[in-house]
Amino acid sequence: MLLTRIALAGEGGQGVQSVAEIIAEAAFNEGKQTIYIPNFGIEQRGGVSIAFIQVSDTRIGAPKFDKADVIVALSDRSIARTAVFSDNNTLFVYDSASQVNQEDFPKEARKIIGIPAIETANDELHPRVFNIIIMGAVLGLSKVVSFTAAKDALVYKLGHKFANDADLKELNFKALEIGRQLGEKALQKEGEVNA
Amino acid sequence: MEKIVEGSTRAFLTGNETIAWASLVAGAEFMFGYPITPQNEIMHYWTRLAPKYGRGFLQTEDEISAGFTVCGAVQGGKKAFTATAGPGNVLMQEPFGMAEAMRLPMVAIIQQRGGPSSGTVIYSQQEVNLTTFGGNGEGYRIVYSTASHQELYDYTIKAFNTAWTYRFPTFILGDGYQAKMREPLELYDPQEKGITLAESFPLVGLPGVIGENRQPQHLNNIYSLEEELYEKVMTFSAVFEKISPEIVEYEEDSCEGADIILISHGVVSRAARDAMLILRSQGIKAGYFRPVTLRPFPDEALKKVILQSNAKKALIAESSYGQLTRLIKQSIYGETINIDTLYKPGVGIVDYDIINKVKSIL
Repeated sequence: MLLTRIALAGEGGQGVQSVAEIIAEAAFNEGKQTIYIPNFGIEQRGGVSIAFIQVSDTRIGAPKFDKADVIVALSDRSIARTAVFSDNNTLFVYDSASQVNQEDFPKEARKIIGIPAIETANDELHPRVFNIIIMGAVLGLSKVVSFTAAKDALVYKLGHKFANDADLKELNFKALEIGRQLGEKALQKEGEVNA
Repeated sequence: MEKIVEGSTRAFLTGNETIAWASLVAGAEFMFGYPITPQNEIMHYWTRLAPKYGRGFLQTEDEISAGFTVCGAVQGGKKAFTATAGPGNVLMQEPFGMAEAMRLPMVAIIQQRGGPSSGTVIYSQQEVNLTTFGGNGEGYRIVYSTASHQELYDYTIKAFNTAWTYRFPTFILGDGYQAKMREPLELYDPQEKGITLAESFPLVGLPGVIGENRQPQHLNNIYSLEEELYEKVMTFSAVFEKISPEIVEYEEDSCEGADIILISHGVVSRAARDAMLILRSQGIKAGYFRPVTLRPFPDEALKKVILQSNAKKALIAESSYGQLTRLIKQSIYGETINIDTLYKPGVGIVDYDIINKVKSIL
């Protein structure tokens, strides 16, 4: 697998850092080289929070990158904020419920894809698993880690919560699966086969 | 000492966690600290780990006292350390100066953030001047600039050994990215790897009776006579110059026959190495040089590399505005190689930045 670079961005509290950590942990457990770095400036006290993930089979260089393969922007503001990381090879994903000015979208992208993550979470599942739908979507879009490894890492991270609530575990797994399908569907629309 | 890491374990940690583990396996007995981003989690992890292994921690009222309490602990023969960043690094220069004056084997971890003043809490390479030459007067210290979590682990262990072997204050110069990012590394027990841990020893309260069977131990940081100070500084400089060849470390790759040598340190060297490989694959003969010790600086090695490479140009890349360049220029005085620079103070540098710069100057 070549180097895959993913940027996840959202408002503080949307859980992008948790999701990034779980994905990176899953990649590590699969024996891959991986770097996860949060942006941890004072914007974490109210502003756009960005997580940078890189996964590769070989040694990874700089901890941050200028252009991403996949960008997931979960809030209105984070779309404008992450547009700079997009170029012609980038899948730029946003929540279709976002209220966005057209000029905030990246000028260059392989494809700009809206997925109904917030709507799906609210209508079909539960708002609290919104970020897990996003995590599933990242897997569907990038195949950066296997679904099994992602599930294991999710259990490892949230096991203490699942222990007292079996339904919560099922809810999370369901969210992950639905997210994956959303991601895969978005790619199919593009008529592309995943690497 | 109780085994902390059995055999060798692959782990996925932040740099700050890595340093706490490395200090533990290096036999550090006490940490004194005061919180500042981005080094906080070194303290957090240490306070979680230390009680399990009989080690100690004290949060002092500020960085000045954190530094001085380390000075005290090492005089009592304890392997002690601290960690700081940015404005905290400024405050700690006074105790670091005492450590230089008394040749105290203290260890300090610096996780560089942006400046001047409070700057950013994020990242920079702007604390090179301060960490290498921040003392008043002319004291001697050893500074390792790391580039990966494996190195944070390896060199933190080494820092305690260097400090207690040579009796000079020793620094790990990391940065906010290294502090906060997660990446895989191998944790190991140093002794199982054949690394001997240097013994600590008290510098005061020694056995015997002064005047009867031993000389007094003079650990001075102040002198009445200018001649006394002169003697001390001259002695320290002679000692430091003598031991420098044993301490100095660097990395070099593909410099022979190169047209341009990329010079960087710390986390930027990761991008520089990638840039070198990509440029080579595109037919541009780039070489790579990285000082690991910023003090003592690998003067002779760099001069030799320049001489043997026949390169006409060097490109210095740093997340600061000329702090590494200053070290390099004084180190290679007399060489005629052209120096170009890529300065991005307080922000990261990726391979792409370096490649573009190289193409614009070749």
